[in-house]
Amino acid sequence: MTKKRVLLSPLDPVHDIGLKMIKNALDEAGHDTYLLPPDVTPGEIVEEALEKEAEVILLSRTLGYGVAELLGRFVDLVEGAGIRHRVKIGIGGMAIKPAIAAELGFDQGFGPKTPVEEAVAFVEGKTYTPPREGSAKRKGDLVRERTYEYHHQEIKSLLEEISEKTLQWYEKIQSPGIKRAELREKGLAGEKEYLEISDDSIKDFFSDGILPSGLRLIDGEEQKALESIISAGRVDNPRILQRQPHQPLVFIQYGTGCPFMDIAHVKGTEGWGADGVVHFDPSWGAKTEGLLSGLLSHEENGSVITDENLKLIKKALESSTLWQVRAHRGLNTPETVLLAGEAGAELTKINPVYGSLGGGTDPERLLADSIKAMEYAARYKMPFDMPTNEELCGVPAYKAFAGMLIVTQLGLALGAQPVLQPLFCYSPEMMLGGQMEDNYIDYNAAKVMALRGIIDAPIWAGAPIGFLTHTEERVQSSVSTSFHAGMAASLEIEGISIASADEAYSGGPITLPARIDTLQGTGEAFRFLGSARMQPTPKAEEWAEELTENILKVLKEVVKNGSFLDSLYQGILGSQKEGAYPGRNGRGTVLKRK
Amino acid sequence: MEAKARVVDALDIETFLICENEEEGRRVSAGLMESMGLSDFDLVYIHHEGIGARVRIRAYINRPGDRYTWLEGGEIND
Repeated sequence: MTKKRVLLSPLDPVHDIGLKMIKNALDEAGHDTYLLPPDVTPGEIVEEALEKEAEVILLSRTLGYGVAELLGRFVDLVEGAGIRHRVKIGIGGMAIKPAIAAELGFDQGFGPKTPVEEAVAFVEGKTYTPPREGSAKRKGDLVRERTYEYHHQEIKSLLEEISEKTLQWYEKIQSPGIKRAELREKGLAGEKEYLEISDDSIKDFFSDGILPSGLRLIDGEEQKALESIISAGRVDNPRILQRQPHQPLVFIQYGTGCPFMDIAHVKGTEGWGADGVVHFDPSWGAKTEGLLSGLLSHEENGSVITDENLKLIKKALESSTLWQVRAHRGLNTPETVLLAGEAGAELTKINPVYGSLGGGTDPERLLADSIKAMEYAARYKMPFDMPTNEELCGVPAYKAFAGMLIVTQLGLALGAQPVLQPLFCYSPEMMLGGQMEDNYIDYNAAKVMALRGIIDAPIWAGAPIGFLTHTEERVQSSVSTSFHAGMAASLEIEGISIASADEAYSGGPITLPARIDTLQGTGEAFRFLGSARMQPTPKAEEWAEELTENILKVLKEVVKNGSFLDSLYQGILGSQKEGAYPGRNGRGTVLKRK
Repeated sequence: MEAKARVVDALDIETFLICENEEEGRRVSAGLMESMGLSDFDLVYIHHEGIGARVRIRAYINRPGDRYTWLEGGEIND
């Protein structure tokens, strides 16, 4: 490397920190640097350049007022001094637009946030190559650090007893959902036997090509255009939101209805730092026996689950992106997990408690189907999370957690990797009980503390964090998500699902910019906190103990009842009075296995 | 192709409108969007305080399920 004499000067009344950082880097690289004080005139800078025989002049300008005139005058003075041919001049700072700098005769203009390395490369006459952050971004792992060891032995033994009995019951039953999944495994989806246990809308599609209303098949031309956009638009440099290893993976939820629009949203959010994406299917899909086929677009919320839709979305994902396909609440639960596993999803979502008490599916049917789904999740090594959204219906957290822990033990018994999903939310229980009148931290922290005190399992808060705290105002909504993300980081949980800034808006589809807003906010929260933590008050610990005691009481009641399934109908895990209603979809369809 | 064809889904317009109350703010918002030729719009947020209303008005250019204009390709008209 040839040593250079570099003159650095701010064209402002105050020093620019950027210039000092560049000076340090140049010194470290062995160059001779001369940093002038602020408020020096262009004429004085040129005089210094002559005296020091500078080979490079680096200027900075932060103030925007009169910048073009000032810079133009500086270049004229350098030319007038007869040194322009031997001095390279660069200019940077908040007020600088690279294009204008070039127009005014500078060798290079550096815009805001230019890396120091780029300025050093300019001095040394090298071409600057930005680091490929994308190649540094690795796929996250939610479960790696957890042992699944119970810390609470009494709860452990109750859960084992409940789980064992439930699996004995499962051995003897069969359902259309289980049967269809088994047929799909044999390559018989859409065939006669499959259609015999499917709804009419599915039969009509496979027999006569009639699509349910609101759906259309995507044509080949559209697909070709999308594939060319995907191949041209790989995300080379995705942001990494986390600043510290303990900060959680960040998931966004997509489900615009159309796989093409979903892909646009996924690609946009990958670039802005999403670590994972969650596939939302339409609510009618959960109530329909059987799955459709083909590349299908849907006019309303929720993207249809078909083999083709899932595989197309998978093809568009970056290698560092985790992908979850939800299967937790409907009549196609086992088949969905099977399809997700085949399509290459890393994660799925199964929870018969929420799905039957808050999701509309009959408890018996969903419990049977969910166990089959957990077998598939184990086979495809897909960890599954268990959303406790029955809290949003009014079920107290401790009951929702008791249900989630039973499903956890069932999953463990089947060799799967369950992920706890407490809600970070302003639930009806909180609204009525007033636990969040002072702050949103303590009760959410108590939930995590209680779960951590029971079992060493991964926690992925959802879904989305800050549920019922958002308004239609974009800044409020993004800030609320950001604070909840900061709290999640402070509690050192493994993952979070975040809402978009459109969370509380119900007048139309969620937009991509609204998703980017909250990713930005989450990144800022992680940056703000770094290794520091939000501190709950002592109340959190008190509530964590209360939650644990109440979970224990509920589990004892389930054991006393003798049947997990009957406990769901009897309201032990959430009663009608509290807002939980055992669903009716698929009721009476579970049969004894022949 | 028109530049708005490259809008992935919607165009949000955020501003502060001088108006007497929320009702007038809604009328002004509608007039603003129509004057820009954006007929498929919705008022995502409005809050009146003092001399006017903070608004966020959204015009959908591509709704899920449409044939997306950004898939068509082509250069943007000057």
